[in-house]
Amino acid sequence: MTNDLPFRGKALVSFLIFGLVSCSLPLEGSIGDGFLQNKQEPALSGNGGKLALIIDQLGRPTLQLRDLKSGQIIPLRHFSRNQPHSSPSLSWSGRYLAAIIQRGNRRLVTIEDRLTGKLHTFPLIGERNPIRVRLSPDAQTLAIQLAHQGKWKVEIFDLTKMLESDFSQEEFSQ
Amino acid sequence: MIISNLFLKSLIILTLTSCSHGSFRAISFVNSLLVQSAASHREPSLGNGLLVTLANKKGREVIEMIDVKNGKRIALPGLNSANTHTINMSISSNGQLIAFIRQRGENTELLLYRRNQGTIRKLDIIPKGVPKQVAIDGLGRIVAVQVSRNGRWDIDVINIKN
Repeated sequence: MTNDLPFRGKALVSFLIFGLVSCSLPLEGSIGDGFLQNKQEPALSGNGGKLALIIDQLGRPTLQLRDLKSGQIIPLRHFSRNQPHSSPSLSWSGRYLAAIIQRGNRRLVTIEDRLTGKLHTFPLIGERNPIRVRLSPDAQTLAIQLAHQGKWKVEIFDLTKMLESDFSQEEFSQ
Repeated sequence: MIISNLFLKSLIILTLTSCSHGSFRAISFVNSLLVQSAASHREPSLGNGLLVTLANKKGREVIEMIDVKNGKRIALPGLNSANTHTINMSISSNGQLIAFIRQRGENTELLLYRRNQGTIRKLDIIPKGVPKQVAIDGLGRIVAVQVSRNGRWDIDVINIKN
């Protein structure tokens, strides 16, 4: 059908196809914000739609969530204080956002459910400090890297009785 | 008597406190296997039902993948090579792709491992920078990488082309 189109029509069709393909891909390149601000510890949602990162906010490492296509910052209910924040991790759709926060003199693993607004906390028994936290895409498993007695250790936790699965039809059709 | 009462009260308080956070539980058999299998583990990344870590085996760190459901180790042919130092990694949700940052000599590279093919390819960072931390999305279509460039930390998003 496109063979019958004049050159200008073909160019227009190509331009439209290119535009549609470009729109289906997330933003590529450096995450800009107009400021020469340090950005660290990237985490992507399973579907690639959202990016969590740590920015310097008045010298305090603070969690930020962005929509990758629009670049817009998504407000978070529970991460405006208790800095320094570290080690963000997202579930498939970005419904759940895990990170380590400071509460008193302790580092604490937390998960914000962005759908219900609930904050889940994971107190660790004994002198064990969380260093990194990772959430599985379906939000059913949590991995925590700990510093314990001078060694790195990874422990995993079952969240099936705590969080709803962040199920994805797209993923299972792969 | 007083001491045992105090002990009993402490036990009740501890139990109640634990119960208020009690809806998550350690996957003990996998955690025990992790302790037994290496001197230390760090840099965890989770797919659905899969865990990768950097495991310290006799002083050498290797990328190790474990099936969380049965604790079995999954082979990663061609991934762990001598004279390299892995800094950070991230797996796709089905565990077929691992994006990782590796130091070889003076070079720090961002790489992509395809498990079903056992191949590694380099992902270019443009403009150039030194990668430190990487995240891959669940479907393995994009990576976000923390890069040192012009004296500050930046985050680049890179589309993975097949």
